[in-house]
Amino acid sequence: MTDLLQLVFSGLAQGSIYGLVALGFVAIFAVREIVNLVQGEYAALAGLAAISAVGAGLPLLVAVICVIPLVVGVAVLLERLTIAPVKKMTPLTSIILTLGVSTAVKAVMLLIWGPEAKGLPTFPGTDITLGGVSIRSQELWVLGIGAIVAYAVIWFYEHTVRGKSLRACAEQPIAARLVGISPRTATVVAFAVAGFTGAVAGIVGSPIYLSSWQSGLSLGLKGFVAATLGGLTSLRVAMIGGMALGVLENLVAGYLSSGYRDAVAFVVLVLVLLFRPHGLAGKPSAVRV
Amino acid sequence: MQRSMRWLSMGLVIGLAGTMAACSESKTGGTATGTDAGGEIKVGVVLDITGAGASLGVPERQTVEMLAEQVNAAGGINGRKLKLIIEDNQSTEDGAAKATSKLLNTEKVDILLGASRTGPSLAMRPLAEKAEKPMISFAANAKIVEGSKWVFKTAQNDRVVLEKMVDDMKAKSITKVAVARDASGFGEGIPEMLTEIGKSAGITISAVEKFAPDATDFTSQITNLRASAPQAVLIWGIPPAAGLAQKAAKQLGLTVPIYQSHGIGNQAFLDTAGDSANGLLAPMGRMLVADQLKADDPQKAVVTKFIADFKAKYNANPSTFAGHAYDGFMIAVEALKKAGTDANKLRDAIEATSKWPGISGVFTMTATDHSGLTKDALMIVTVDNKAWKVAG
Amino acid sequence: MSPLLKRQLPFIALLVALLVFGAAAPQQMVDVGIWALIYGFAAIGLSLLMGLAGQVSLGHAAFIAVGAYTQALLVAKANLNPLLAAPISVLASMVVALLVGLPLLRLRGHFLALATLGLGIIVGVFVTEQEFTGGTSGIFGLPNISFGGRTYDTSQEYFLLLTPVVVIGLWLASNLVHSRTGRALSAVNDSEVAAECLGVDTFALRLRVFVLSAAYAGLAGVFYTHWLTIVNPSVSHFELSVKILLMVVLGGLGTVWGALIGAVAVQLLDDGLRGLIPILIPGAKGEIQLIGFGVVLVLVIILMPGGLAQLWARFMGAVRQRKHPIVRGEHEHPVSQEEQRALLEESLTLLARAEHMPAGETILAVRGLTKRYGGVTALDNLDVDVKAGEIMALIGPNGAGKTTAFNMITGVLPPTEGSVVLEGKEVAGKRPHIAAEIGATRTFQNLQTFKSTTVIGNVKVARHLRSKAGLVRGMLLMDRAEERLIDRASQAAIDAMGLTSLADKQIADLAFGKQRQVEVARALALEPSVLLLDEPMAGLSGPERDSLSWLLRRVKASGVTVLLVEHDVAAVMALADRVAVLDDGKLISLGTPAHVTSDPKVIAAYLGEEDDQSGGPATGAPVATSGAAAGGQA
Repeated sequence: MTDLLQLVFSGLAQGSIYGLVALGFVAIFAVREIVNLVQGEYAALAGLAAISAVGAGLPLLVAVICVIPLVVGVAVLLERLTIAPVKKMTPLTSIILTLGVSTAVKAVMLLIWGPEAKGLPTFPGTDITLGGVSIRSQELWVLGIGAIVAYAVIWFYEHTVRGKSLRACAEQPIAARLVGISPRTATVVAFAVAGFTGAVAGIVGSPIYLSSWQSGLSLGLKGFVAATLGGLTSLRVAMIGGMALGVLENLVAGYLSSGYRDAVAFVVLVLVLLFRPHGLAGKPSAVRV
Repeated sequence: MQRSMRWLSMGLVIGLAGTMAACSESKTGGTATGTDAGGEIKVGVVLDITGAGASLGVPERQTVEMLAEQVNAAGGINGRKLKLIIEDNQSTEDGAAKATSKLLNTEKVDILLGASRTGPSLAMRPLAEKAEKPMISFAANAKIVEGSKWVFKTAQNDRVVLEKMVDDMKAKSITKVAVARDASGFGEGIPEMLTEIGKSAGITISAVEKFAPDATDFTSQITNLRASAPQAVLIWGIPPAAGLAQKAAKQLGLTVPIYQSHGIGNQAFLDTAGDSANGLLAPMGRMLVADQLKADDPQKAVVTKFIADFKAKYNANPSTFAGHAYDGFMIAVEALKKAGTDANKLRDAIEATSKWPGISGVFTMTATDHSGLTKDALMIVTVDNKAWKVAG
Repeated sequence: MSPLLKRQLPFIALLVALLVFGAAAPQQMVDVGIWALIYGFAAIGLSLLMGLAGQVSLGHAAFIAVGAYTQALLVAKANLNPLLAAPISVLASMVVALLVGLPLLRLRGHFLALATLGLGIIVGVFVTEQEFTGGTSGIFGLPNISFGGRTYDTSQEYFLLLTPVVVIGLWLASNLVHSRTGRALSAVNDSEVAAECLGVDTFALRLRVFVLSAAYAGLAGVFYTHWLTIVNPSVSHFELSVKILLMVVLGGLGTVWGALIGAVAVQLLDDGLRGLIPILIPGAKGEIQLIGFGVVLVLVIILMPGGLAQLWARFMGAVRQRKHPIVRGEHEHPVSQEEQRALLEESLTLLARAEHMPAGETILAVRGLTKRYGGVTALDNLDVDVKAGEIMALIGPNGAGKTTAFNMITGVLPPTEGSVVLEGKEVAGKRPHIAAEIGATRTFQNLQTFKSTTVIGNVKVARHLRSKAGLVRGMLLMDRAEERLIDRASQAAIDAMGLTSLADKQIADLAFGKQRQVEVARALALEPSVLLLDEPMAGLSGPERDSLSWLLRRVKASGVTVLLVEHDVAAVMALADRVAVLDDGKLISLGTPAHVTSDPKVIAAYLGEEDDQSGGPATGAPVATSGAAAGGQA
């Protein structure tokens, strides 16, 4: 039983990271119907940049406060440079485009930080053991910050006028424009939100899961799977789905074989797309699979 | 448009072919297999410089570069200059195969060194054998040299490492061991070998788990090991995975002795594992504890000089992997000095290495043993406050 | 020289050029060439899938891996001769593609792309985990290919071995693009719904191309195995899928030659960057050349989405413009009025099907047809029998449910309730191609032409059901005779609509009204028994409308049933035998034009009740004189 709890608990922590990344996918898809394959790179970049900042002598908190806006800026800049100029955006185009950008970003990270995986120092706190289940302090940070950020993003999109108007853009871009919502602003905000959640995920997860030039691929894909659980439109399901995915991965790794861990996400993806393409949330969304 | 597309392609290819044909070099005969033509000696080195094995490949590269400089500064090999050609295999098997082909076919090297890890070394082996060129690997798994005429290695065989470990377990009356091993070539076959060697000491394995070389989370594996109630745990991998696994083991509450393989002998491991490394037990070469060696130890002089040279040039301590590279390179140099670049003579010279003190141990190669080291090459080493110490 | 023979010349030239290259070039270049050929072969298959069938696959390396591993296992573990093992390995890739495609190809766009990515990862995990595939080290020490006393283990030999295989593969792919299957795929890419309504089973088609692309990848895997002599999980990795994707995109989506060119370009780029980067950035470790890949991908998509092929086409287009300012297609020739009418009669005879249902019998029976969207009922319980050989019009104010009814009858929309029986067979809820197979086709209110091709190209798609050559025959050029028949019949349909002078023009260049006419010609070319036209008059000028009315009467005379939705009430009343009036989702009147125009319910629907202000939009009172006002707002 303790083993089960152990697997579940650390799965929840890992899954929170997936969930944060998933929020970024939903934020962008809700505005532009683009699946942004660069999403995972925001996390890797934030982790690596924070490690450098701390290595240069900055206190952890200062480093975090500096790096997050930096990554948000990079996310927006990349969007302006690569996505904004394309007039006719089809799924094929957006996939290839974001794939190209993520490949280039990966290689730049490799160039700057080298190939080894590095970790941010753990956040203040001590590890505890509860009923046989050992809990790392960083895992508590992950869960806590994950929950707060997720809540904040959901609140923004569902309870502020700004946020709600942004969601209108994907469904009816022309109508949205007619009522004064600029698609350009909406896109920039969406990418900023995605950069933000990605950066948080990368920073808070770095002490445990390490950051490297390659860590963005896996994170991005698993975040996408979590986002798909929410039909690419539900923020709540994306976050919770991410956590569920983390738990499921750990259970498979623990009870079946650790090698199959990475396959879990994709088996889930395929099953969801085949049987409940509009996501597990129940309401059919506008997304035509 | 389709039709014109074809003309473009045809034109391009013709143009390419024409240019190539015009620039094509005459096919050089090169040195016929085996004969020594004099002149520059080419040493081809394939290393895991990027990718999962970088923490091994980079110090190995530094080592061979430093040693090549030293050799050339001292007048080369019998007056002939030594040319070092280093290729990165990106820690992949096909990267190693491609690099080796290039070294053999394009550069036409006289001897092959590398790779840093087992998998890529296995990929290099058939190519070296087909080309009938001697190859010295810096990696550990015995499969690399088993039954091979042309391939040698300098890292201690897993077998002797396990033998040393079993001796220690026996002394501590440990009979139940849980194993977490690297899923790649480095870890393949380890649990089986441990069972075989440990049988006479009554050692059994209570659980076996695998981890990917680039894994960062070990919760599921350690949890399963913990659940099997072992008296000791063996983690068999290289940094960073080995270090993270060590950390995870302590953090998940394992209090029994933790053994590690000889693959953790570098700073990266100490950095990753931090305090969780204290008290671990690993069979290591003598270099890590050079300052604690007795004065009459045959390896002491070699090891001490190497550490000093490396530190002077790179401002860091060399790791055990750098040591494997030292051994491979210097054995090659010795053999080249004795036999020149004739492939068969060179091979024979390498095989004739006897009681040669290196960094990883004292080497004695034979026709049936292309690894040359016994369990005496190892000492049980522990970690105390981020420093390697001979275990009491 | 016949056009067919002319088309073969570039392939012969390619073959010769590659043979010369392989024999004469320095080894380093030949090594690059070998990988260009191996990966290029896989890229050809991906190009068919992505360009022709419009589906993104981010996991194509999975199929290369299946081919490579199967070959390695058969040769190393089962000791099979490589030449015997190769077809089995290719078959393995195809089988995996079939099994995977059956569920996955129902997905579209992003979801299909990411599902294929997932497939690549699953294959990678599988071969890493299983003992029999050698785990992370894979299978090594594999033999080179040898037959006829010769072992193909040097670069030159292997390149020369690959050359004929790749050239033949390219030739087959190119033939496919120009065949009936290629045409259908291109149509699906342009407008899936129109292709379906013309009888193309889009799912089956996509699946076939998916499997074919896997076959190409599988064979590439076989060649990979026998050149590298080791196979390990890296052959399934995402990086390789990206590389192949880059080859296709750079060369030009949808052009199979582009795949090969892109392969050469990418290999050169890869090797070049690998050599260049240590010079530019000393101390740089490893895969930095990925920066180059990423940047190239982005630049190509933004600046040159058609890849190198687009550059070439533009160049050739400019050249051609200067040399032959007036281009006359092989189908075009000026026609006089009398000739026009004569052509029309002739073509209608050609198109008239011998067996039509006897006039008067019910050919289309609609019962209780209903469509609800949540709380809104778009169509409520429609019951109508369409008699064979009649022209029935469906009219009503905007939002009455006419197009909804149309969409359900033709299978584009599944009904919430009800049945549609066409010539005795139930078609409600089934894919549109089923209805097309029975003999019903349609045109579209919002124009669903196949934008990437010419007028006659559009019409030829409609001959899909009247021809049989499948994938294989198309690739092997065994369909020439049939293609000639298709050509003639399509020409006839074009002549029937008076579009003879436009036959070889790109349809996207034509005016809206003309494109509508092409849609009608296309529908006619199917030789339907029931022709459904959704607002065919919209966008046509007065004389064009008269022409169309006249044509429809002639079509009816040859036994075809016509069902049309229209706003041009005057034209409809003159043309139709019977009229059905819908309002607010319900059928409010059904009968002859005279009956319907005097029905008070109809008048109320259009003009509102006496106390109301204007009820419906001014679509024209039944006694309106000018058709233009009514039809203007389609």
